[in-house]
Amino acid sequence: MQPRPRVVVTGIGVVTSIGIGAEPFWRALLAGTSGISSVESFDTSPYAVHIGGEVKKFDPVPFTRRLRPETIGRASQLAIAAARLALDDAGLRPESMDPRAVGVSLGTTSGEPTLIERFDDYELANRRDAIGREFIEQYPSHMLAAHVASELRFAGSNFVIPTACAAGNYALAHACDHLRGGRADVMLAGGADCFSRITYTGFARLGAIAPERCQPFDKNRKGMVPGEGAAVLVLERLDYARARGAAIYAELAGYGLTCDAHHMTAPHGDGAVRAMQIAMADAGVQPADVDYVSAHGTGTSVNDRVESAAVKQAFGAHAPRVPMSSIKSMLGHTMGAASAIEAAACALAVKHDALPPTMNYETPDPDCDLDYVPNQARSSRVNVAMNNAYAFGGNNASLIFSKRPE
Amino acid sequence: MHGRGVLMTGVGVISPLGDRADAVFQRVCDGATAFAPPTLFDASAMPGYLVAEVPAFAPETYVRTGNIRPLDRTGRLALVGAELALTDSGWNGDTRAQQPIGLILGTMFCSVRTIGEFDRRGLQAGPQFVSPMDFSNTVLNAAAGQVAIWQRLTGVNSTVAAGAASGAQALAYAAELIRTGRADVLVAGGAEEICFESALGFARAGRLAPPDDRGPGCGVPFDARRTGAILGEGAAFVVLEAEETARARNARVVGRVNGWANSYDPDALQGDRKNGDMLAHTIEHALCDAGVSGVDMVSASASGAPALDVAEAAAITAVVGREIPVTAIKSVAGESLGAAGALQAIVALHAMRCRRLPGVAGLQAPDPSARINVDAATRPLDAQRALVTATSHEGNAVSLVLSLS
Repeated sequence: MQPRPRVVVTGIGVVTSIGIGAEPFWRALLAGTSGISSVESFDTSPYAVHIGGEVKKFDPVPFTRRLRPETIGRASQLAIAAARLALDDAGLRPESMDPRAVGVSLGTTSGEPTLIERFDDYELANRRDAIGREFIEQYPSHMLAAHVASELRFAGSNFVIPTACAAGNYALAHACDHLRGGRADVMLAGGADCFSRITYTGFARLGAIAPERCQPFDKNRKGMVPGEGAAVLVLERLDYARARGAAIYAELAGYGLTCDAHHMTAPHGDGAVRAMQIAMADAGVQPADVDYVSAHGTGTSVNDRVESAAVKQAFGAHAPRVPMSSIKSMLGHTMGAASAIEAAACALAVKHDALPPTMNYETPDPDCDLDYVPNQARSSRVNVAMNNAYAFGGNNASLIFSKRPE
Repeated sequence: MHGRGVLMTGVGVISPLGDRADAVFQRVCDGATAFAPPTLFDASAMPGYLVAEVPAFAPETYVRTGNIRPLDRTGRLALVGAELALTDSGWNGDTRAQQPIGLILGTMFCSVRTIGEFDRRGLQAGPQFVSPMDFSNTVLNAAAGQVAIWQRLTGVNSTVAAGAASGAQALAYAAELIRTGRADVLVAGGAEEICFESALGFARAGRLAPPDDRGPGCGVPFDARRTGAILGEGAAFVVLEAEETARARNARVVGRVNGWANSYDPDALQGDRKNGDMLAHTIEHALCDAGVSGVDMVSASASGAPALDVAEAAAITAVVGREIPVTAIKSVAGESLGAAGALQAIVALHAMRCRRLPGVAGLQAPDPSARINVDAATRPLDAQRALVTATSHEGNAVSLVLSLS
């Protein structure tokens, strides 16, 4: 059998609470910048918690040139911005690309939740007549990818993979298979979610939202912080990237997907271990080859404990020597965008040989006794990075990024 | 195309037309529609509209004893559809645990009813009074996760959304995972429930055959008098296996997925369907992917939508020609959104096996601008290979090429 085509990352676009665009985002990550602030999207007075990771300085207008921003939901706006930033970063101009050879694969947790929230507001206000065509035209989750492709006029494969908090990794993985199968020359792949009352309500009800800050792996961690954002990576086959002389961040060298089949919200660990093992085998690397793990690291008591144990099982004796950090300590949990943003961080770590820190880390937890890159970015050779994501539904996804040999 | 063969070893259907694939096929052939006023929600919200609901759906009659309470209607439809498909393919309770079986679910909404009710409960009673169990069902992969827990499916588990093309997209997604060696056994298909939120939304968007129009042809694919779709629901699944896996266990083979492709029409949101050329492009690619030059029948996604049906017809004509017989099932089954593409695939398999092509029920005045070979009557068929086409209003296009062996 022929060697399978290799897939590389050549562009990164991110819209986050700590920076818009790959370079501002990366600088903010290394500086340990917090994107957490008081929630402004809706009134949090009925809740016991009031913080979130909203992207407060985002203006969609410079990015939506074909679609009108008021006709699309906020998650689509974030995704379009990330897609344009990624293309610019990759040195690609959409109007000079073959539209049929460019696909869009996006992950999300909630699609466009503000549209069903508005539907519910009208319904409860006895204003059902005010519910118009925009609900069906904007709400369904597949509109995220449809809007990105409509904005940029891309006609290749197009779908949304809404696998909750691991969705970005799933979307990147399936995009990778599309490129390997010759179904596209370029895939825009990533994830987007906007700040959602429904999501906030759910996590608040679970008692999972931290009152002041997100402290992954700290003994006194008090939970996650809901956030929003988007990341899109430009993926292309290595031969295509080389032919156009593209700068390469990293190779997307492998992935593993599994399901716990255990509980809707409680992680099991076994599925996470298998996903890491499958990803490493797929990429042809051993645990000792992995230089950095981007943790799911939500900051909840259960996640961080189970995840640390799973990494120990998957990496064996090498586990204490693998630096693992959670950028959710800065961004909060951006839901379906999270693993896409973390994939961007992995690609940047591979390119720059530096590790973003886990911020707010103060007190070691005996149940979480790995190297979490506490509070300070670190210069460190990164040949291989692993990006882990876990979701409601027991969905687990691990990706491997590696440095391209010179 | 390089890679492993992708075989189909079982099918499962829970639909307004029944819960056995052969009975559903017979009803499609008979043109026995399932349309009635909605009972799943207060019909006064949209008086006069008809829908196709799964009648008296009782999931506990299909699955072993256990607590189905945590599953919403979409989850229950998916659970039963997957159970029927796994059983049909010979993966029983014991053998399912022997290897990681995965699940690929296509759905447009998962359950927007669950999501809407959760939100409204939080607004009315306060956020501390919502149910944590309901929250876990608000994620769009909830149905796939619930089915995995119930069926102990520890392999790849994913959900894909491509509007009304989601079910076909799920089959393509699963076939890719098997061809490339990432999975050996996958249950793949789609599920969608009828609920107040989506039904009202479609009505407000003008997508449904309006209640003042009950004339002949109103919700009929390719009919000149079509005015929109009749909303449906259900679940349809196929068990896909790597050829070597299926052969090693001497599985009965009900078909093969030969090729697939998908694309997007970036002008669809502007209302310009360009005569369906993106769908034509996917048909060409799917044929190429399958390594074949043509097909013997088409199972189309046409739903009675004024513009979309004609665009689909144009794409079919452009690539496979005007003579190839075409069927469309949505004037019997309704527009079941995420479930539709998988149901179309199952009907295509039955048509080839039973050597009968279902008529397009209710077709009286074929649209002269849809230059395809359609007929109201069920016809004899001699087909080795079928094309399944799936389109969405929003521009998604998926094509699958299937054969019996």
